[in-house]
Amino acid sequence: MQATKSFEQAFLKQMLLGIQLSAVSHGSGSLQERKSAIKLSADVAMAVARGSKKWTRGLIASLSKEEQNRSFLQFVLGKEFERPAKICHSSWKIPRSKNIVRRSLRFLSKRKSNIRAPNSSVLAGTLVEKRTQVLKRLVPGGQSMDAFSLLDETLDYAACLRAQVDVMQKLMTTLEASKHSDAQRPKEKFHLLPMVGSWYSTRKGLRKRLSKRPKLTL
Amino acid sequence: MSSRRSRISEEEINELISKLQSLLPETRRRGAGRASSAKLLQETCNYIRSLRREVDDLSDRLSALMETMDNNSAEAEIVRSLLRS
Repeated sequence: MQATKSFEQAFLKQMLLGIQLSAVSHGSGSLQERKSAIKLSADVAMAVARGSKKWTRGLIASLSKEEQNRSFLQFVLGKEFERPAKICHSSWKIPRSKNIVRRSLRFLSKRKSNIRAPNSSVLAGTLVEKRTQVLKRLVPGGQSMDAFSLLDETLDYAACLRAQVDVMQKLMTTLEASKHSDAQRPKEKFHLLPMVGSWYSTRKGLRKRLSKRPKLTL
Repeated sequence: MSSRRSRISEEEINELISKLQSLLPETRRRGAGRASSAKLLQETCNYIRSLRREVDDLSDRLSALMETMDNNSAEAEIVRSLLRS
């Protein structure tokens, strides 16, 4: 429970930074652009808050494939992002051919049944194989994972997705509530702004702060 | 890496499977015993897909909402929630 709470906090903090950096906060751009910006902030925030996992690296890699995401990723991740060689290298290892994947799955299940002969081996049967393939496409970076890592990463990924939804839901509720009670707020805002003013007011300050932040190690 | 993988016990696999099962929001079918791997994988995929749809939907609503607020108060509100937790 404690782990989730600190994840949720880290996620919200990263979301805030992301929103400030992107189109949403500057009033520019179309609604579609703002929506993509929020989605991008949310995904990057989730990856950064979680830290180094196979799926977080896979997520960043797939996000960086799109041109419009790169400057944002560069800004948030800093030096860690400037290692395309490393990211590309692991993607070369991905078996592109279906047959290779099928062969390796069959080999894996054979090997496992030689060790234990479990009747409920995860990889037994084509239906399981098919479903495993679907799961591999859903979990970021899943294509290059063996069955065990896939299950492990899936658990982690699903838990983080759940937390992401919860935080964004809470955020929605909070923003909606504040919108309705805006008239009553002015005094409170006045007290709050000096406290947080130095935290997010200047772009320069933001850049400095970002460079000090612990980076996601890929 | 492959030598490490070959030493994974059935226990560990079973543990992952039961963790997956308890993660899913479906009610656990006590009477029928553990669901088959195929069913479990399918439900996991569905679960992940529905979570991603929710994130998409929430992104939509958040951006629409923020458009109608002035940016400073939106950001201030987020900071407030951070300081509160």
